[in-house]
Amino acid sequence: MNETGGSVDVLGVGKTYGQAVALDDVTLHVEPGEFMTLLGSSGSGKSTLLNVVAGFTRPTSGSVTVDGRDITHDPPYKRDLGMVFQHYALFPHMSVAENVAFPLRRRRVRGAELTRRVDEALDVVELGGLRDRRPAQLSGGQQQRVALARAIVFRPRVLLMDEPLGALDKRLREQLQLEIKRLHTELGITFVFVTHDQDEALTMSDRIALLRDGRVVQVGTPADLYDRPASRYVAEFLGESNLLPAANDSEALLVRPQDVRLSRPGADLPAGDHAHDGKVTEVIYLGSGLRVEVELRSGGRLIARTGTRLDPVPRPDDEVVVHWRQQDCVTVPA
Amino acid sequence: MRPARVALWALAALTALYLVLPVFVVVPMSFSDSAFLEFPPQEWSLRWYENFFTDLTWLDSTIASLQIAVQVTLLSLVLGTAAALGMVRGRYPLRALVSGLVMAPVLVPYVIVGLAVYAVFLQLGLTETALGFVLVHTALAVPYVVITVSSALMSFDRRLEHAAMGLGAGPVTTFATVTLPLIAPSLAGGAVFAFVTSFDEVVTSVFLSGPDLTTLPVQMWSGVRVQIDPTVAAVSSMLLLVTLSLFAGAGVARLVRRRKA
Ligand SMILES: Nc1ncnc2c1ncn2[C@@H]1O[C@H](COP(=O)(O)OP(=O)(O)OP(=O)(O)O)[C@@H](O)[C@H]1O
Ligand SMILES: [Mg+2]
Repeated sequence: MNETGGSVDVLGVGKTYGQAVALDDVTLHVEPGEFMTLLGSSGSGKSTLLNVVAGFTRPTSGSVTVDGRDITHDPPYKRDLGMVFQHYALFPHMSVAENVAFPLRRRRVRGAELTRRVDEALDVVELGGLRDRRPAQLSGGQQQRVALARAIVFRPRVLLMDEPLGALDKRLREQLQLEIKRLHTELGITFVFVTHDQDEALTMSDRIALLRDGRVVQVGTPADLYDRPASRYVAEFLGESNLLPAANDSEALLVRPQDVRLSRPGADLPAGDHAHDGKVTEVIYLGSGLRVEVELRSGGRLIARTGTRLDPVPRPDDEVVVHWRQQDCVTVPA
Repeated sequence: MRPARVALWALAALTALYLVLPVFVVVPMSFSDSAFLEFPPQEWSLRWYENFFTDLTWLDSTIASLQIAVQVTLLSLVLGTAAALGMVRGRYPLRALVSGLVMAPVLVPYVIVGLAVYAVFLQLGLTETALGFVLVHTALAVPYVVITVSSALMSFDRRLEHAAMGLGAGPVTTFATVTLPLIAPSLAGGAVFAFVTSFDEVVTSVFLSGPDLTTLPVQMWSGVRVQIDPTVAAVSSMLLLVTLSLFAGAGVARLVRRRKA
């Protein structure tokens, strides 16, 4: 299945703008056919890294290779990579079909072959009926689908996407997330996907590279980053986290809210559980569950997520015992 | 209506009248039967229109003006677009100086341009030649193309060019398939300006004209200065008609395009 995907290697890439450091010695390996997500807060260097791979930004140092071939000094139009932008960048003077045909024409595909491949790509994104519309006559989601079709129609071995869903509303975004995921499985090509949305990263990726201030702080599967974060920053970036003081000062204990259980004081606890006394300060009803905030007697506070059918339902000022299984907490370098 | 509004309307009407007043004088005069420019005419006739189409000096100068204006338009479109690209996109020292030099011809009084050009062209044998006119008029027309095209380039979304390059289009193809079609309306505007600049040019053209080659505006000018030939009124009226139809045509084209979009 991964026969058509290219491998991407970023080696010691740095990028400075005057004094400002946008990328600091970034090294990253992307497997052929992999769905790699670049995740990070605003200004962490995600777009800069993607643009270095795409060829729009010239790195100050380091190199980029695709399938082992050094492309650091190739202009974008010689790299043969697909690219999808947050702002779609559809050509307003061309119809949907002409937009999708654009990269094929650059590769001298003509006649029946051209029509066939354009139709095929539009079918993949389920836009066959809109081929003669202008981009201005499409909704945001439709425009992004055209951009996707245009980026895959020439069968690039690597597809780069910079926050392609950033401008869409939540529902549409979730729908397109699934479509992009399906596309990845169908095409078997390598995806490098930029987002600042951790949920999006967790749902879609084979692996995630978390960036902070132009550096990669951790690369791994969603489970690696979520369950075994390499640092406090990673733990706090992905999902809600409780960080408690550990035995020594250079470490902290991480326990996720859904692993925290609540019991009445004096109740029997499973053997081996970590337990702390505390007092409920806030209870929020979320539909799918409760989010309970507890102030610990030992200092600090902790979040627990529980089902709604607890007996009794915790209320503010209730005295409680919070506890979790030994295997549900991990030590994290502070 | 309140007095202030009435006053505003009156002012607007008077200004409009003031601007089109020459039309009300020139058009009737062109239909006069008199051998002199006469307003208002006593007798009516088409003899000055007939004269225009039968007198070779008038026809020759019209054809010369059209040929020169077309060449000027093409040349200044190419040069002006290239200059605008350099001024908007370029990164090089003394960019402001380059912009100043490109715009200089509109700032320097035309008489000075005409005199300087005359002195040099006389030695080069370029006076009374189409090439001489084209060279001078192009210098005067380029700034107008630069102004319209560079304003289009400044508001141009360069991310579209990035997208094109990412999809495999080199710089030239990107320009031809993406940039050019999208700035085409501004190019058309610049073309109209360039054409009119050349077709309408009197000051420098007076220096370059002579028995071998005279442009229409210069012919009209001497038609009044030397012989007081009422054909001038007929020519003016026809030029007005052409201009009006051009503007009406552009207006209709814009309407049609908006309807389609
Ligand atoms: N052309 C530029 N000139 C100067 N600084 C730049 C330029 N482009 C990016 N930067 C800086 O580099 C850093 C990384 O920017 P980048 O656009 O890669 O961030 P990002 O992770 O994509 O953020 P966002 O989520 O907001 O898109 C930022 O501090 C930014 O200000
Ligand atoms: Mg970005």
